[in-house]
Amino acid sequence: MSLLKYMKSVAAVAAIALPGAVSAQSVEEFYSGKTLELYIGYSVGGGYDTYARVIASHMGKHIPGNPTIVATNMPGAGSLRLANWLYEAAPRDGSVIGTIARAAPFEPLLQNEAATFDAAKFNYIGNANTEYSLCAAMSDADISNIDDLRAKELLVGGTGAASDPNKQANVANTALGTKMKIIDGYPGGNDIVLAMERGEVMGRCGWSWSTIKATKADLLESGKIKLLLQFAAKSHPELTEVPLVTDIAETDEAKGMLNFIIAPQEMGRPYVAPPGVPQDRVDALRKAFMDTMQDPEFLKAAAEAGLEITPSDGEQLQQIVESVYATDPAVIAKVIEATN
Amino acid sequence: MIESLADALFLVLQFERLIYLAAGVMLGLMLGILPGVGGVAGMALLLPFTFGMDPIAAFAFMLGLSSVAATSDTIPAVLFGVPGTQASQATVIDGHAMARKGEAGRALAAAYVSSVIGGLFGAFLLALTIPILRPVMLYIGSPELLACSIFGISMVAVLAGSSPLRGLGVAGFGILLSMIGSDPQGGDLRWTLGTTYLYDGLPLLPIALGLFALPELCDLAIRRVAIASKTRHEVREGMLRGAQDALRNWWLILRCSGIGAALGAMPGLGSSIIDWFAYGFAARNVKGARESFGTGDVRGVIAPESANNAATSGALVPTIAFGVPGSASMAILLGAFLIHGLQPGPAMLTTNLSITYSMVWSVAIANILGAGVCFAMSGQMAKIATLRYTLIMPMILSIVYLGAFQGNRDWGDLFALLAFGVLGWVMKSLRWPRPPLILGFVLGAIIERYLFISIARYSYEWLLRPAVLVLLLAAVVMVLRPFIGEIIERRRSGAQGLPFHAPTFHLTDIFTGLLVVAVGWMVFEAAGFSDKARLAPLSVGIATFAVLVLSLLNQVLRRPGRAAAVGVAGGAVRKEVHLDLVEDYQGLSVGTVVLRGSIFFGWMLAFMALMALIGLIPTVFLFIVAYMRLENREPWKLVLPIALGTTTFIYVVFDVFLTIPWPSTVLGTLVPALKSLPSI
Repeated sequence: MSLLKYMKSVAAVAAIALPGAVSAQSVEEFYSGKTLELYIGYSVGGGYDTYARVIASHMGKHIPGNPTIVATNMPGAGSLRLANWLYEAAPRDGSVIGTIARAAPFEPLLQNEAATFDAAKFNYIGNANTEYSLCAAMSDADISNIDDLRAKELLVGGTGAASDPNKQANVANTALGTKMKIIDGYPGGNDIVLAMERGEVMGRCGWSWSTIKATKADLLESGKIKLLLQFAAKSHPELTEVPLVTDIAETDEAKGMLNFIIAPQEMGRPYVAPPGVPQDRVDALRKAFMDTMQDPEFLKAAAEAGLEITPSDGEQLQQIVESVYATDPAVIAKVIEATN
Repeated sequence: MIESLADALFLVLQFERLIYLAAGVMLGLMLGILPGVGGVAGMALLLPFTFGMDPIAAFAFMLGLSSVAATSDTIPAVLFGVPGTQASQATVIDGHAMARKGEAGRALAAAYVSSVIGGLFGAFLLALTIPILRPVMLYIGSPELLACSIFGISMVAVLAGSSPLRGLGVAGFGILLSMIGSDPQGGDLRWTLGTTYLYDGLPLLPIALGLFALPELCDLAIRRVAIASKTRHEVREGMLRGAQDALRNWWLILRCSGIGAALGAMPGLGSSIIDWFAYGFAARNVKGARESFGTGDVRGVIAPESANNAATSGALVPTIAFGVPGSASMAILLGAFLIHGLQPGPAMLTTNLSITYSMVWSVAIANILGAGVCFAMSGQMAKIATLRYTLIMPMILSIVYLGAFQGNRDWGDLFALLAFGVLGWVMKSLRWPRPPLILGFVLGAIIERYLFISIARYSYEWLLRPAVLVLLLAAVVMVLRPFIGEIIERRRSGAQGLPFHAPTFHLTDIFTGLLVVAVGWMVFEAAGFSDKARLAPLSVGIATFAVLVLSLLNQVLRRPGRAAAVGVAGGAVRKEVHLDLVEDYQGLSVGTVVLRGSIFFGWMLAFMALMALIGLIPTVFLFIVAYMRLENREPWKLVLPIALGTTTFIYVVFDVFLTIPWPSTVLGTLVPALKSLPSI
């Protein structure tokens, strides 16, 4: 097997040595017989990983030349390590794509020194779903709407300043006048929920609707939790009675801050190619991604794994990133102030 | 309950599911042998294949795999002193010492019998406590987790033997290391030296391999002989002895597996310190352990091995009952849960009880199967320890490299491995206790996290919770004991005060000095962090600094041998307790030892340089050839098959199956066409 690989590479060297052999290569010729590496910015078992692996096993047949897609985990720094690597070091020929945190493209705006990329230069390929994020409280806390949230203090769990639970609670406090007090430092979202169940904290933000349905339907059905605020551009069809934060906001500044926090939810779990990949290959990858999203076999596999499929194409993601980067710097300064 | 237990047994005993379980066990055994790979990588790899199985078969498969990785990891731990997974670090101490005495077969057999009994008892405890799991778990809040971790740190006092100051200093250093990276509130980056590698903190894997595996390999290279010159027992006799050892210590096994199951159930504590807890427990409570532990006492193998197999059952508890995975492999299992449409929570203990019990049975059966297979092989395995060092060293060293690389899959892993390898070797040579560093490293981060949560939530009232009070008092007693013991003993022997003499300086004091400087630098840097981020590093750092300075003064002013020689007051020399492997170079001069040690680490540097140049997999081949030819002129007819075999094996496991993302190489950058070759 390794001998075969060696012979292939000898052939590849020969191909490069012959001038003109590469330039006229079509997308199909490029991907034919190749592997396309799909990097995942998180470790195995989580949402990003599960989506990526199901997509990896179906997307290959929609790309011209039908490359084999190999999914690989490169966790670290909340996927910033992968984002930096894709930006700086990954091959720019279309043989590598990756899935990074939905908020990663906006980290440079928040002056995160560990994010060393220009997010607008990535080639966004698409996403499989849009996220709907919620603030919720235990029913015992006796808080059932925004008025209660403004009137009473609610202890919510946090997982670090840069994480969704903290950002959403902090920005809601500033923009909407809620009185959430963050008990910070839980290792992960699951740990906050456990702390809620034992009464250590009484609520949390940054709780994605798909996660609640998949992991804590029992709390929902038994009426032990109340959903209070929805962080999304538009209501999820199943959540029409939970108010959107942007509808509650009274000033433009508050709306601006909330929109900034909501944008990552729209990014879902984005798939990106490094900057500088030839345009015809980017187009082919974008088309293949959206074709996969309609592939009945893929949809069946996704349904079995309990994955919600509400895709956006690469151009839409590119627009979201560009519009967020056009946010008034004064609003961004407010967000930074609120979240630190 | 009995009824659902029986139902669940029949569910598991279906032919197809048993086959999956057995397949999982075999894979787990193979992966457990490879340091750094272990059950987690295996589960990650196989998760997608379980999508199509029925849930019970899927969990049987995955639990089969994860339960036995803590069984086969004993093989490299005993034979080479290389912990196969983080759960077998403590096994190295006495297990490898036994192998050196030619008792590898006995150690392995004892480990497997303890593994199976421990694993079964853990499963039994899980089955028994399922009805009360949720209320018990709901009682354990952040303050309790915190107190439990503090109690864990106090175990240092036992593991440090008769050098408690050094133990405390090293543990403090471990805690400081655990605080590298973004702080729990995510505000500051601490001591990351500008790298993203350290953003999430140092990974445990390169530290554990560096501290425990490399020093053994280095000393093997210095001694230049086989690990064991002879095997003391016949194959069958050694196995029998080991089995008898385990059975005779059944009470120790039950207690340690109880500890393993209980700690496994604490989310966050994880398997990496359970073996040290059990080892420390045994060192304290077993008769004569303070003298014989570290020199090849079979009970030092039995204790950790029975605990780490029971831990799998414990780790299932928070996963099943609350969806909070207690370890990395449980996180993957939780992923499988959700994919199969199961929700952790009360339903798993009521409507889906049969599935939960089927998981208990899977763990139990996997333990029997896994230990059975390993036990059958243990006698033959033991013979590997008698091979020439040049035959096994390059192979093991290559695999240790790959294992460490599994930490973050980054160059940083290899630098960390090398740095901790040197640190570990120096500590081992100068008789500094190594286990406190791991304890501090694993528990330090948890303590900081839950200290903030506890104070933010309960202010200082967290101290008044009953379980917290008990655990903290126990911790205080544990830490003060050795100091009080020394004072009492001196009073009894009629000595007044502490015996000092005029300062003497040894070359080895430089090491303590360097530690003081390192900790001092960390404290200095920490002063610049934001308020929240520096509170813990500063308090731990200053305390550690003080302890290390005291330890240095202690060395300079109270050197034990010298005190006796010059007849300073009292002169009652107590027997030194040191719970770690001690090297006997059999008359090699210090110069030779240092020279050969430097050559060993030189080989490691060469390995890394070559890897940067041409990639890891070709390096493995060249490294094995070069090492075997240059160190001992091994015949080509041995060199080539070993080099080719190891390289192919590594290629298949790491490149084909685990699809490791290799770092880029100079060769690959210069000649991009070569990038299609593995790891270039």
